Amino acid sequence: MRPSESRGIDRREFVKSAVAIGGMSALSACLGRSGDENDDDEDDVSIPAGTDDPTSLPDRQHAWNGALPSDDHGNHVLASHHVLLYADYVGDGAPTADERETVESALQSLERAFEWSSEGLLFTVGYSPRYFDRFDEPLPDSVDLPEPAALTSFEDPDLDTNDVVVHLASDSGAALLEAEEALKGNTDTVNGVEMDAHLGGVLDLPEEFPGRRTGFVGDGLPAENNDVSGIPDEADVPEESPLYMGFKSGFDKNQATEDGVTIPEGPFAGGTTQHVSRIRLRLDDWYVEQDQEERVSEMFCPAHAEEGTVEGVGENLGDDSGAGDCVETIEEDARSAGRVGHAQKTARARRDGRPVILRRDFDSTDRGEAGLHFLAVQEGISDFVATKTAMAGEDLTDTPTIRQRVNNGIQEYTFVKRRGNFLLPPRTHRALPTPRPE
Amino acid sequence: MNRRTFLAAAAGTTSAGLAGCFGLLETRTAGQPPVLSDRPDAVYHPTHVEGMKMEAMGRSGDFAAAVMYSYPHRFWTVSGSTVTKQSIQSDDAAHIMVAVWDPETEVVVPDAGVSIAVTKDDEVVSEEVIYPMLSQPMGFHYGANFGLDGTANYTVEVDIGGLSGVETTGSFDGRFTESTSIDLDLSYSEAEKENISYENTPDRAGDQTAVSAMTMMDMPLGIAPSADELPGATVGTASTGDAEFVVQAVEADRFAGGTHVAVSPRTPYNGMLIPRLGLEMTVARDDETVFDEELGAVLDPEFGYHYGGDLDALESGDEIELRVTIPPQVARHEGYETAFLSFEPMTLSVA
Repeated sequence: MRPSESRGIDRREFVKSAVAIGGMSALSACLGRSGDENDDDEDDVSIPAGTDDPTSLPDRQHAWNGALPSDDHGNHVLASHHVLLYADYVGDGAPTADERETVESALQSLERAFEWSSEGLLFTVGYSPRYFDRFDEPLPDSVDLPEPAALTSFEDPDLDTNDVVVHLASDSGAALLEAEEALKGNTDTVNGVEMDAHLGGVLDLPEEFPGRRTGFVGDGLPAENNDVSGIPDEADVPEESPLYMGFKSGFDKNQATEDGVTIPEGPFAGGTTQHVSRIRLRLDDWYVEQDQEERVSEMFCPAHAEEGTVEGVGENLGDDSGAGDCVETIEEDARSAGRVGHAQKTARARRDGRPVILRRDFDSTDRGEAGLHFLAVQEGISDFVATKTAMAGEDLTDTPTIRQRVNNGIQEYTFVKRRGNFLLPPRTHRALPTPRPE
Repeated sequence: MNRRTFLAAAAGTTSAGLAGCFGLLETRTAGQPPVLSDRPDAVYHPTHVEGMKMEAMGRSGDFAAAVMYSYPHRFWTVSGSTVTKQSIQSDDAAHIMVAVWDPETEVVVPDAGVSIAVTKDDEVVSEEVIYPMLSQPMGFHYGANFGLDGTANYTVEVDIGGLSGVETTGSFDGRFTESTSIDLDLSYSEAEKENISYENTPDRAGDQTAVSAMTMMDMPLGIAPSADELPGATVGTASTGDAEFVVQAVEADRFAGGTHVAVSPRTPYNGMLIPRLGLEMTVARDDETVFDEELGAVLDPEFGYHYGGDLDALESGDEIELRVTIPPQVARHEGYETAFLSFEPMTLSVA
């Protein structure tokens, strides 16, 4: 490794740790540190500024794809660093017009400060069923947003009932921390732009897990951050893997489109729903008991393992995992190969040949544990439930080889600890909406 | 980088933190004899016999559970027809076992989907799905080797997903499907572990016999009822793959109607029930096939775990053929890993 590469990895790791820890001291350390080094790291490059014209931004909060770079195969590449802030509305009863204006003003300040892109900042603001409970009127039928619940027979997650979740994402850890501190009112200027307002007086924003959750995704980041519980010392997380489990995911053809996950009608037309689960990863058996062929079999499908379809982390798959082609043989695979694949099971949940959820998940070291924040957007939460039910494969346990969590995709290694459901209104209604905004 | 090294780095110090403490070498496991080179394709006496330490029992929902531990040991997992040896890892401290049964009837519940989370002072030490396993002294249980954080009081949260792929009948109908969780104390000590009995058995190793069942335990074992104890009439007992299959015919309201043919596979010597295999049955009468189906797994209060099929009636002279299509998908302790893997069709005539 060349010295500059080594410094680069130290710095990336440092920035990721700063995001995980958070707060003004982490922000100062992060800014100070990148200023100390005279190499060409991305954080030394100025962060692109945003726009004074909010109408130039897409009306869908979840319209990120157009603002993300693509890889060589046309897959959208998610921003590297992420923060989720689970917050509660501080007032009693329904929010006031002034509070609504404060929230909108704070969000527009961020949009002025940062370009709407992964080089700048992408964010969404979501509202839970519990938030809408404060209003006399219910949500319209066009919004499918039940309270969160356990979705398999073998999980017992804590259910997130905070009013609001803010998701911040950026390739720049410093931009992310700055945006967070600005929303909290701890700093007045972000990226050289003055904040007109902050959320501190309206929302009770968290400092620590579980209210504050962090993560990362992208080539090399998991391998650099593998010194956490859940990853055995013997594990060889591939350097080029974007996720802890050693494979690419989010292939374009295996994702719903943004159009497909958008609520088509009603007062929240242009919005979407967001499900976020926190999953603890326990990869000892994944990396120690199993070889690459077995991992391919359980992540994708037995046929992929047999035919050598997946090279390394799966870069060669292009824009399609190909697991859809394994769906028809799932019962046969259960009997003859003795296992079924995660992607193979999941691919059973499709509408018009296309998946119904759009994954934007990322890994995490929150609590010093290897974890995954499985964040997905979909038109309605029932789309997520249908996908999760297909993924769980409990219907396949009639075959003796397949048990609830053994030989059944990756369920032996993943433990769902929390679930939450949120509505991401269209941008026009993103500030403390009523159930029937006009 | 963890929080401590981050803060150290941010503060401009070079401290790398304290070095970790590593587990002491396990004298017992280090002394384990190697796996025999000439094992029979059958049940055999293992190279050594280990005791175990019962730690705690509890109940919640439809289930009772107990947690025990012993020395870490090698075992074999079975996926389809593939048997894979799982060796002891350097940081394994103990083999933790969980037994799950119905507190009302003391019937052992296989296939309950068990994982455990081990915590110490509310810090997570480990969380794993543990395998359904067969051992000669214990029969069916759930287990895995675990690394622990030294001598300490641990809490083992036993998470039971509930039965999957198994039909319940009679008073069991609708039971064992709800998931539940049972917290059990595990006080682990290196010294106490060394007091667990351990015996190398070179004189018996490889013999076609089995270590006796631990029937003295205050805990139900997954021993299949003998043919005499089963309800209905015994059609016969067939044997293949070194497993015994007791075939019973019964008429009872709790089954679909007509005659319920119950096939109860068990190990030789100890009669431990063998769950999670694929089994087909054909019944021929004169030159006609009157039944030709896969048998489903059933948990019944009287038969226990068995494989069942329902037909109008069995008649004298009927020829029953049983075919194992998938070997039992349970991990094996030493002495069982070469048995119950390859089966011939079995035939029985109805008297």
